[in-house]
Amino acid sequence: MKLRNRVGERKIDVNMTPMIDVVFQLLIFFMCTLKVIEPEGDFDISMPLGAPSAASVTDADLPPFKVRMEADAAGDLQTLFFNGTSLGGGEQALAKLNSEVFRAITALQAIGQEQQEKQEVEIDPDYDLHYRYIINAIGACSGRLGPNGIPVRYISRIKFAPRREP
Amino acid sequence: MKIKPTNTEIAEVNMTPMIDIVFQLITFFMVINNFDQNEADERVALPRDQLAKPPAVQRKDAFVLNFGFDRDKDGKKISELPFLFFGDEKLSLEQVRPRLRQESQFYSAIGTDLEDVTVEIRADANVPSGMIQELIQMCQETGIEFQRFALKATQKSVP
Repeated sequence: MKLRNRVGERKIDVNMTPMIDVVFQLLIFFMCTLKVIEPEGDFDISMPLGAPSAASVTDADLPPFKVRMEADAAGDLQTLFFNGTSLGGGEQALAKLNSEVFRAITALQAIGQEQQEKQEVEIDPDYDLHYRYIINAIGACSGRLGPNGIPVRYISRIKFAPRREP
Repeated sequence: MKIKPTNTEIAEVNMTPMIDIVFQLITFFMVINNFDQNEADERVALPRDQLAKPPAVQRKDAFVLNFGFDRDKDGKKISELPFLFFGDEKLSLEQVRPRLRQESQFYSAIGTDLEDVTVEIRADANVPSGMIQELIQMCQETGIEFQRFALKATQKSVP
């Protein structure tokens, strides 16, 4: 009787210490390996082939919009030309480029929706121009960010002009 | 005289809530860790743009080219000319052609159409753009003939 009572009363005591040790080790491992990575993306654009050669075959009816980018000695954007019109330099030029492209495609939409899809942009940078301006120009030509964070598409065909020698 | 020890039982702390929280933390850090970013080279400081969106569908055949400068611990440039990084190996733009050819032959050997392979260019913001054009041109040469390109950028948060 007495014995059975004792057995019934005994509480099973699990030793938690090793588990907690391991769990803390894991926690510290995951905390240390954590890298804060910013989301990386690309532009949903198609880059038509044959940019290096002049004889590129496209189905675009109209000549491409020409974006000419001139660099200063440091490789920063000095002047930006859209179809031959100077838009100045720096950040404002890229903002202006965005509105110019918008104006141009609005004119295209009057002809037909498919014209906008076929339209190409040709980016023609100086050799030494920093790559970030190319990315920003591609961004400016490909669309703008809508009010709710959904991008509004302008042009999806962006190509490079033949390379300029340094 | 018998003194009864007052402190015979060990003060037992209830571990359950702590373990709960710790497990939550572990799960959080595990989920937030993305292990598949190993192709992204930290030496490359990508340019930023608002419209750079992560692709909705993961590309099946993507070939990443990391194009950047040698940087010291503070992120300062050491080299004047940019290099293409393949793990520990670094190649200058002139040296990369055989590598691209090899990569192209690899895709042909496994029977993947080169039209389906995307070359993801992760280039540093300060690389001269002429070099990017040269790189793209090189990827299109006869015998290499990659046809699809994607230019990577960091998503700039809207202010």
